[in-house]
Amino acid sequence: MADDYDDHDDHDEPAEGPGIRPDAGSRVGKPSLIVDDVHIHYRTFGGRRLKGQSWNQRLRRHVGAVDVVKAVQGVSFVAHHGESIGIIGHNGSGKSTLLRGIAGALPVTQGAIWADGTASLLGVNAALMRDLSGERNIVLGGLALGLTPAQVRERYDDIVDLAGIGEFIDLPMRAYSSGMGARLRFAISTSSQPDILMIDEALATGDVEFKQRSQDRIDDIVEHAGTMILVSHSMSMVRNMCDRVLWLDRGRLVADGPTADVLDEYSAKTGRPTARPTKRKRVQVDDADEDQPVSRRRQQEQAAREEAAREEAAREEAARAESAKAEQAG
Amino acid sequence: MTDLAALAAEHGLSRVGVRPPLREYLRQTWQRRHFMISLAAARAYARNQSGGYLGQLWAVITPSLWACVYLLVFGVVLKTNRGIDNYTGFLVIGVFLFHFSTASISNGSKAISLNQDLIGSLQFPRAMLPLATVTAELFTLMPALLVLIVVVISSGEPLRPVWLLLPLAVGLQWVFGMGIAMVLARLVSQFRDFGRLVPFVLRALMYTSGVFFSLNHYVKDGAAADILKHQPIAIYLELGRSCLLTEVPVSLSSWLWGIGWAFGLLAVGFVFFWRAEETYARG
Repeated sequence: MADDYDDHDDHDEPAEGPGIRPDAGSRVGKPSLIVDDVHIHYRTFGGRRLKGQSWNQRLRRHVGAVDVVKAVQGVSFVAHHGESIGIIGHNGSGKSTLLRGIAGALPVTQGAIWADGTASLLGVNAALMRDLSGERNIVLGGLALGLTPAQVRERYDDIVDLAGIGEFIDLPMRAYSSGMGARLRFAISTSSQPDILMIDEALATGDVEFKQRSQDRIDDIVEHAGTMILVSHSMSMVRNMCDRVLWLDRGRLVADGPTADVLDEYSAKTGRPTARPTKRKRVQVDDADEDQPVSRRRQQEQAAREEAAREEAAREEAARAESAKAEQAG
Repeated sequence: MTDLAALAAEHGLSRVGVRPPLREYLRQTWQRRHFMISLAAARAYARNQSGGYLGQLWAVITPSLWACVYLLVFGVVLKTNRGIDNYTGFLVIGVFLFHFSTASISNGSKAISLNQDLIGSLQFPRAMLPLATVTAELFTLMPALLVLIVVVISSGEPLRPVWLLLPLAVGLQWVFGMGIAMVLARLVSQFRDFGRLVPFVLRALMYTSGVFFSLNHYVKDGAAADILKHQPIAIYLELGRSCLLTEVPVSLSSWLWGIGWAFGLLAVGFVFFWRAEETYARG
């Protein structure tokens, strides 16, 4: 599988451009997802963006502190069966919001989204409970994804195998290491074989062995005429996994095209092909010479992914603390 | 129609994120019932799971302790037992069933606002959330009902066939709770401030539903008495008591009121909730 990615430039695919994986051309078929001039706005409570300093303006900071964020502003694209698409852009550019809109989890303010079959966000996360055992969480998560109880029973062993957490399956998820938790979530999320699989960062979890298995699982989904959409800040991950890249900036689509072209453009515009310039290591990976020994590139990518996984875990921890606080307050 | 809309129509793609018709919504909700029940059971279970060494035993210990506290305060200290023969049974039934409804209402009203992360990442009929929240309260009530039956028997009530109606009475109260939770969940998600009013309404209900005194003894006749005795919570407390206590007669009209409140509110709540289905995310 590793070779799939590294030798794509050797194949001649004039119609699709150089960024397309060699076997992708044959699989890209009819449209699976159509996003038509989509705008997504949402309300936030408890704060406002204010310009002036008049008494009236200052009062509004405390009373009626409701504001509207225009996260996505007029994005259109068409995705096809068998395509893997990466979405890149700075923090706050509307990537995750767009994904949630496609998943049907956020309402579209203007425009429309059509999908062929189910679009599922790799985000069963929210349905799982830390106080319950892995076993109960598999059932709960599977049902949350829309599986029937019979389907959950049928896929239970597969999920446990993929997660590879052994006897920890009987312990509450509270007791899991962040890598174990992430593996279980990944295994549950992908058990439903969605027609359109969407991944928001943090695919990068755990050890090398798990990385391989998760990669296989994703390939499997894309193989079954599915469509994969990946949101990531890791350019190497996007380069490895996607045929096509959408670049979002402040809610607008800046570029849409073959991976190599868009990433080049992105790096030319931003100076470096990374969204977080302080991360030296990742910059190195992204700039890595194509001629480098494959093993070394792999190692660096691995390091970058592990780093992303740690960040994800920290974010989750913060979110959890927040919701616990909210619960106490309520 | 835009070009892309035409393309979608040509390939038979279906629209994402729009509210389905009512019948379809009802069908989807029914289809996902296993998720609703599993979510409710998980929440009721998780509530006691971090309770230390005693774990799930707390499901029984907690209501027992509540029963002791209320009996001590109202039975021994305040003596609000005027006009009631079996005050122990009367009070414990009242407190447990009343708590079931208040927990359903207060947690149900927050079912959307507290589950934003779940709403933001998975697609399912949002009515699942208020329904599951109230069902979790039902699962929490079940061990308490065992405690309740033990208390009532030990207070000297004879076992009668009418006891078999208790699950039906509790079932109606559950249906009523789901209806009201759907109404409140939508209101609170659209006007958060509304959620602040819920505790005051619940407190008012506590003193007007005959939880620890007999409504019959304090309010006699007139419009006020009629309203107090026919408001849903008072009705469900009376139904529960009429099943277990000899001194409270079983009345057909109360049962009809109970059924009316339950299914009336369920229907109204479901339609009212459905009409704002697409707005719940990040409300």
